[in-house]
Amino acid sequence: MADAEVEDLLRRLAPRVLGALVRRYGHFDTAEDAVQEALLAATTQWPTEGVPTNPMGWLLTVASRRLTDLLRSEQARQRREDTVAKWTLPTDRIAPPADSPAAPSDDTLILLFLCCHPALSPASQIALTLRAVGGLTTAEIARAFLVPESTMTRRISRAKQSIKSSGVGFRMPPPAEVPERLAAVLHVLYLIFNEGYATTSGPTLYRVELSTEAIRLARLVHALLPDDPEVTGLLALMLLTDARRPARTGPDGALIPMAEQDRTLWNKAYIAEGVALLSEALPRGAPGPYQLQAAIAALHDEAPTPEDTDWPQIVALYEVLRQTSDNPVVSLNHAVAVAMADGAPAGLALLAELETDPRLADDHRLHAVRAHLLEMTGALTDARAAYQAAARLTHSLPQQRYLHTRAARLPDPG
Amino acid sequence: MKYMIMMFGSQRDYDMLTGKDTDKPAWSAGDVAKLHEFMESWNRALVESGEFVDAQGLSAPVHARRIELKDGVPVVTDGPYAETQEVLAGYTIVECDSFDRATEIAARLADTPHPEGASLGRDWYVDVRPVVGSAAELDV
Repeated sequence: MADAEVEDLLRRLAPRVLGALVRRYGHFDTAEDAVQEALLAATTQWPTEGVPTNPMGWLLTVASRRLTDLLRSEQARQRREDTVAKWTLPTDRIAPPADSPAAPSDDTLILLFLCCHPALSPASQIALTLRAVGGLTTAEIARAFLVPESTMTRRISRAKQSIKSSGVGFRMPPPAEVPERLAAVLHVLYLIFNEGYATTSGPTLYRVELSTEAIRLARLVHALLPDDPEVTGLLALMLLTDARRPARTGPDGALIPMAEQDRTLWNKAYIAEGVALLSEALPRGAPGPYQLQAAIAALHDEAPTPEDTDWPQIVALYEVLRQTSDNPVVSLNHAVAVAMADGAPAGLALLAELETDPRLADDHRLHAVRAHLLEMTGALTDARAAYQAAARLTHSLPQQRYLHTRAARLPDPG
Repeated sequence: MKYMIMMFGSQRDYDMLTGKDTDKPAWSAGDVAKLHEFMESWNRALVESGEFVDAQGLSAPVHARRIELKDGVPVVTDGPYAETQEVLAGYTIVECDSFDRATEIAARLADTPHPEGASLGRDWYVDVRPVVGSAAELDV
């Protein structure tokens, strides 16, 4: 088996091994380390010695042994320091359980709920999800987020400590909490995708592995909860957005706006899959924000040319989306859609309202949109200044290059 | 009547069996296989004689949890045993005619094979205890 296939197999087995280990022995924090070490042992041994006939059993055995060792040194240290690990049993676990015990098939879902626990910061949720469910190493996660490995190690161990001290057991949240907890999981996957797609800092525009990983995890959740329309919507949104990736940058790495992209480069398989998922989710009642965003992405993907884009329909979808969330970026995109449907002056009028929003005033996206719309109306000097303002505010080098190039095309009043 | 034959072991005994380096020599895979073979044949004889009821082995003591009340609040302790403390490692429940017969069955375990030079660092023992529920079967 090739290294890539071994890695693929290991990444798929990782959450199942961890789930089984925590279900049997507890100690989520230590078990997570033990599984990482078992994965590492497999990565070095399997490609040369061959994949064992029962890979899951192999990993479970190695991880269980490692867990035993780790616990022993932990407990020996605690005894030396006379700080034997004691924890109070939460009252809801003394009373007879109201919920039925989870089936082992839910292990991956429970792990996701655990990693996206509300006690953790979003950055910790993301890091822990990628490690415990995604099976990525700390070094890989650190590289993807462009932080030193030691920083990521601390972030992950702090996250595990928080979960430990929260005393949360390895089981499904009570049914009443599930929708909220699932929303947190989906948000984390959405953040991972965005981090990969629209890199917020650093020299390269994509960190492909993060987008790919987010799609892989979204597929996993979709397989576990095939009837949840927002899970389906999120997967569709990722596919329909990622479909445009091959056309989004030029050979020199420069950013290409959607209107100027070579649409033949778009990933047709992703578009077809995304549209199919969306058509399956939409009839299931009032669509949530992921389905709405996916529907907007689908309208873009299905237009053979920029001129064919169904802007009035996109405006309508953004209006529904604005009612579900108070996200200023949604309002910004709505203004763009209005400009495309009704002309740049209508868009600029909406932007003027948004400029007073403190969340957007220093956001490069607001200035970039203003620059584009001003350019469309022929106010070229003002457009140039707005491009330059946007370039100053973004931290992404490809975006800076793009914005400076746009500004340089326009007459310099100086 | 039912009797429980209890086998004890410390974390260190578990280590020897899993081939881990301790201050005592570790058992080889072949040594462990011989031990398993012996236990299996001991067990099989009980099944064949109709005296076997149940048998279970317990995972290493490091995985134990203790629940105790502290000021009326249930508090859990992970790994409550010291490294060398001997704790229940496994048991076999037999159903036989008398305590003496159960004792005889248990005593056969004294022949458990072990590698040359291996030592527990203590005298070997198993315990046999009558199961309470079966007292009703006593003709007294």
